[in-house]
Amino acid sequence: MKTTLSLCAGLLALSLGTANAASGGDSYNLVQKGRYLATLGDCTACHTQPGKPLFAGGVSIDTPFGKLVGANITPDPETGIGGWSFEDFQNVMSKGHAPGDKRLYGAMPYTAYTKVSREDNQAIWAYLQTVQPVHNPVETNLLPFPFNLRSSLIAWNLLNFEEGEFKPDAKKSEQWNRGAYLVQGLGHCGTCHTPKSLTGGDKNDAFLAGADLQGWVAPNITADPHAGIGAWSVEEIVQYLKTGANRFDIASGPMAEAVEHSTQHWKDEDLMAVAVYLKDDPRTDWPKPVEPLAADSPAMVAGKAIYADRCSACHVGSGEGIAHLFPKLAKAPLVNAADTASLIRVVLAGSRAGGTEAAPTAPAMPSFAWNLSDENIADVLTYVRNSWGNSASPVSSAEVTDLRDSLNER
Amino acid sequence: MTDKSKGFTRRQILVSSAASLAVGAAASAKAATVAGTPGWIPFDHNGPMHYDTPGWQFFTAEEAREVEAIVERLIPADDLSVSGKDAGCAVFIDRQLAGEYGTFARLYREGPFTPGTPAQADQSPLVPQERYRIGLAALGKYCQAQFQKPFSGLEGEQRDKVLTDLEKGAITLEGIDAQFFFQQVLGNTMEGFFADPIYGGNRDMVSWKMIGFPGARYDYRDYIALHNQKLDLVPLSIIGSSAWNKKG
Repeated sequence: MKTTLSLCAGLLALSLGTANAASGGDSYNLVQKGRYLATLGDCTACHTQPGKPLFAGGVSIDTPFGKLVGANITPDPETGIGGWSFEDFQNVMSKGHAPGDKRLYGAMPYTAYTKVSREDNQAIWAYLQTVQPVHNPVETNLLPFPFNLRSSLIAWNLLNFEEGEFKPDAKKSEQWNRGAYLVQGLGHCGTCHTPKSLTGGDKNDAFLAGADLQGWVAPNITADPHAGIGAWSVEEIVQYLKTGANRFDIASGPMAEAVEHSTQHWKDEDLMAVAVYLKDDPRTDWPKPVEPLAADSPAMVAGKAIYADRCSACHVGSGEGIAHLFPKLAKAPLVNAADTASLIRVVLAGSRAGGTEAAPTAPAMPSFAWNLSDENIADVLTYVRNSWGNSASPVSSAEVTDLRDSLNER
Repeated sequence: MTDKSKGFTRRQILVSSAASLAVGAAASAKAATVAGTPGWIPFDHNGPMHYDTPGWQFFTAEEAREVEAIVERLIPADDLSVSGKDAGCAVFIDRQLAGEYGTFARLYREGPFTPGTPAQADQSPLVPQERYRIGLAALGKYCQAQFQKPFSGLEGEQRDKVLTDLEKGAITLEGIDAQFFFQQVLGNTMEGFFADPIYGGNRDMVSWKMIGFPGARYDYRDYIALHNQKLDLVPLSIIGSSAWNKKG
């Protein structure tokens, strides 16, 4: 009886909340739409700690400038956004301005969210009103001086921010435009995958060309056939985002989280739109790949022996891997990336791939830090980066030493 | 025929419900449910921890000296290989005894302990650590009584005679059966000589090079098509391979 009563009370509160949020119209559908849009935007990545209440904040975000913490975005009036109006929320999404003339840092990807339509923001706002309010004070700004001064963001915005909703390209299909809207806007793919300038802004002429991500690399996802995902078909891109794995690759590290929390829940037609957009890249003058190292150079010879003895069991002697289980290394964008952080990292520390509803196995790579020296790791990666159609700069043992030290400090 | 296919017989029902009861009981006694992605820790590995740790982990210095004197005669240095001592067999046995094997930590160890037939294998109440501690002390006592020297103080031929007598049961040891002790040491010595060097023996893969074993390899998919060719594979240990070193 008690349960039933409180359940009724809860439902009542819920319906009151949604009724308030939606200014007329079908509030249920609006909230459901907002819930889906919040999943597209992966709000949870920065605003929900694992095992803690939804959107109560507290997720620590490492940036090259210091540490920021995801805010409490539950409707709690004191510590969340319970005191905000829709216009306040719209300003955050489109301008990076929070109430009280507070400028947000780019870690909150308003540089991408500015593309989100006002209509979609209304749905997200309606959904956020239905979330359980949680009293959880969060100090979001843990940056060191002078970056902790929010006034510096006025100048930052002048350099790095262009406000404005997404404008469809009339020359392209509706599907392409939907993909562009999602990639550039809520999906905020560029937040990780676009290289950053010295001030941490997106280098938009190199949109999605891969970037360093604090000990990981967000690989190049342009249509570049050598360094990007030009060799992937539309269906293979969809499969990767839906299941975390395709015949080329398996998501691990931060992308595993993005797939688990977000992209596996996207509608197929949205994933298809994203893939169509990513494949249709106006840039064609892709940089020429470097010449691969000679197979008889000392590092290549040693690396080949290490690969045969330690890697080939799973990744196969030809670097082809096993589809959906062990990533393919031949012609893989990450393997050919200029930045080697992710490669070195998975060999040192091992890695756990993402598990999705469609592909729940989540295969893991073992750690080799105890068994391979820095020079061994440098040589085997140099071999992998210059075999089977791959060509990329050699890896030095100093790079491995540096990453080993920094990972051990964490 | 048609009668049977209509449903269960009484016997079938009895048998199947007994079986499902048994399954149910077993499942509830020790069931672990894994939901979502199994746990995973960066930098995790479960390799042996002390193969390269200096010093003896179980033996006293005196015991170690005696074990080395034994394995040196069980596998003597000849034109095929170095001795069991130089191959690290005593180190292997020491690490083995310091680990779970030494106390049979993973075996059922409740009694009763009664002598069985040879086909029933090891029925001893002693765990390997005790076998060595008691056996080495008893062997020392025997050698002192017979030769006024420890085993390690004997000449090569004298040592071989003592070992042969142990093997034949011509010697009585205090607290442990002589043949049983001999077989224990012989077995562990062979394990040490042929096991992966990561466990302390088979130093530099000496036994593998001797017999042409290419080492701990995952598979030979890449070699299947290479018919009638000498592969000359460099032996590979869990620790690594000399082929990994850069030349030039």
